[in-house]
Amino acid sequence: MTIRVLIVDDSSVMRTFIRRIIVLSGMEDAVFLEAPDGYEALRLLREQWVDVVLTDINMPTMDGEELVRCLAADDLLKSVPVVIVSTDGTERRMKQMLALGARGYVKKPFLPETLRGELERVLGGAYAR
Amino acid sequence: MPDNEWDEMLVEATGEVLETMFFTGVYGPAQAGGAAAEPRVTARLSFVGTPSGALTLSVTEPAMRALTANFLASDQDDALPAAQLGCVVCELANMICGSLLSRVKTEEHFRLSAPELLPEGAVCPPGQPNQSLDVGDGTIDLWLSLEPHAN
Repeated sequence: MTIRVLIVDDSSVMRTFIRRIIVLSGMEDAVFLEAPDGYEALRLLREQWVDVVLTDINMPTMDGEELVRCLAADDLLKSVPVVIVSTDGTERRMKQMLALGARGYVKKPFLPETLRGELERVLGGAYAR
Repeated sequence: MPDNEWDEMLVEATGEVLETMFFTGVYGPAQAGGAAAEPRVTARLSFVGTPSGALTLSVTEPAMRALTANFLASDQDDALPAAQLGCVVCELANMICGSLLSRVKTEEHFRLSAPELLPEGAVCPPGQPNQSLDVGDGTIDLWLSLEPHAN
């Protein structure tokens, strides 16, 4: 089964890094979509299905918090799991994002196995294939 | 918090970011004046919280090429365009600042600005950097400025 991943980050080099880590962790045939902010992510999500969204919080135009709120309020998209990938590692922020509807949280910097573990947890059997 | 605790946390944060995301590390303090004349890639960002402040990070170009190559898994660090070095130094500054602030014992949430790439030859904050670190292919200099508490 091919996993479809949407990476939302305003840094193109961070999107490249995350893509590489996912491929290296065993998802060689994953399909990646990328967006530099929440608006573009929502536009893509209304056109194409993805299995998981990985999003930064601090982004211009529409940040990750707003994106999670929009997804949680959308009947079609609220089932898409969202994992936050952010430099903000404070307990308060993590709890807030999980309460808003995010399914996972990875603090930057992260080890490759940390991201893999969070994807495995969120995607379950789909990841293990 | 005493200045030496901030300096210690700055070294820890830099080491954590380099080890986890750049597959290298901090080799120790840089030799004084060793890389002063070399071209550098410099980024700055500010943060708002308790305390508020700014972090400036300046990396010697050979070191920045090596770090960028590691980050992007490129085996041609000499061919990396300057724009890519700029994007990666901004991300490096962002992650070091985030890692630093996550070590501050507070319930408060910090807001970080978008990192800004400074032009070659830009004037860094006055005075010696808080930390000048040997990262193998060169040095990383870090200036941390904190605003005084309002109370």
